[in-house]
Amino acid sequence: MVVSRPWLHGFLDLCLLAMLREKPDYGYGLAQRLAAAGVADVPGGTLYPALLRLEQQGLAEPSWGPSESGPRRKYYAVTPAGRAELDTQVSEWQRFRTGIDALIVAGAENPR
Amino acid sequence: MTGWDSRFETELLRLGVQPGRARQLAEETAQQAAECAAAPDSLFGPAHLYARHLLSELKTAAVPLGGAKGPVRLRLTGVGKRYRRRTVLDGVNLTVRAGEVAAIVGANGCGKSTLLRICAGLTRPTSGSVQRTRRVGFVPQDAGTADWLTADEHFTLFGAAAGMAPRRARSTGEHLAARLAWRPTKSQPTQHLSGGTRQKLNLVLGELHAPDLLLLDEPYQGFDQGTYLDFWQQVHSWRDAGRAVVVVTHLLHDLQHVDHVHDLGAAQ
Repeated sequence: MVVSRPWLHGFLDLCLLAMLREKPDYGYGLAQRLAAAGVADVPGGTLYPALLRLEQQGLAEPSWGPSESGPRRKYYAVTPAGRAELDTQVSEWQRFRTGIDALIVAGAENPR
Repeated sequence: MTGWDSRFETELLRLGVQPGRARQLAEETAQQAAECAAAPDSLFGPAHLYARHLLSELKTAAVPLGGAKGPVRLRLTGVGKRYRRRTVLDGVNLTVRAGEVAAIVGANGCGKSTLLRICAGLTRPTSGSVQRTRRVGFVPQDAGTADWLTADEHFTLFGAAAGMAPRRARSTGEHLAARLAWRPTKSQPTQHLSGGTRQKLNLVLGELHAPDLLLLDEPYQGFDQGTYLDFWQQVHSWRDAGRAVVVVTHLLHDLQHVDHVHDLGAAQ
């Protein structure tokens, strides 16, 4: 499924924070996890600004780590403020999803 | 650093980023490209565009999922415009509610100004329908003012057209001008004003009668940096006051300030 950009934009922070709560990660690793989950192929020009924004808002904390090969990597970990934000966004997402599910079910039960 | 990185850093500086921060962002961006094993231009696109994009991303809050919406002030449904056989606009849909700012963007010649004139009711669309609120303020890209009249005389004249008493029109005009860091000089005809100041006059005249819907056609051309920021602050205070605003712009970094973007794409 190709997710259009405005939609992705609305949920990208939520996805990133959720993944970082599972374990700290660096940009490219997060992109791969998003793709593997089937959510989206997030272009670098969307992903990295979002990570910088999380850092700037104090929702994620960076630290430099080595890599097996190549240059060092910037790993992000979720902060307590990031967890609180994630909880808020998760409940918003659940409300949103419940609403859409209700619309779909209504259409499936009463087709015309 | 590669050519891309230095172009990126240069553009950040040009956009007003502090040198230390620009260097830091350029280095991080280079490192991000390296961890993806990609060339920066294939990952991020042209350096100058990415610089603007990054800055607007860093300033934008996440889009809320729902929430209260104001009444519709402007609704375009399937609006099209043809001049003889040339199609300028086709199937444009746009809804702007009270408390929202919409931007109309696109290349030069793609019909941005035509669309705004249709919103204002100054140009008839060939197809589709336009609903708009009664009180509309329109700020054209240029002109709209009379060279031989002073700012005060403009306030009086435009105020009269909206049914305002002369004194109230003048004091409102001066108050609005002050918000744009401009104090009109008495007895100075408009033709002696700089281009940027004339645009401020246009902006004040568009707002004089407290419209519910403001239509602005790149109204800040010739503004210096400070006034440009005052302008967007002004747009936000309109929005917070529950007005609907439509801005035509070709500046991508303006888009951080708006709720909707309507992209008309390339020139027709």
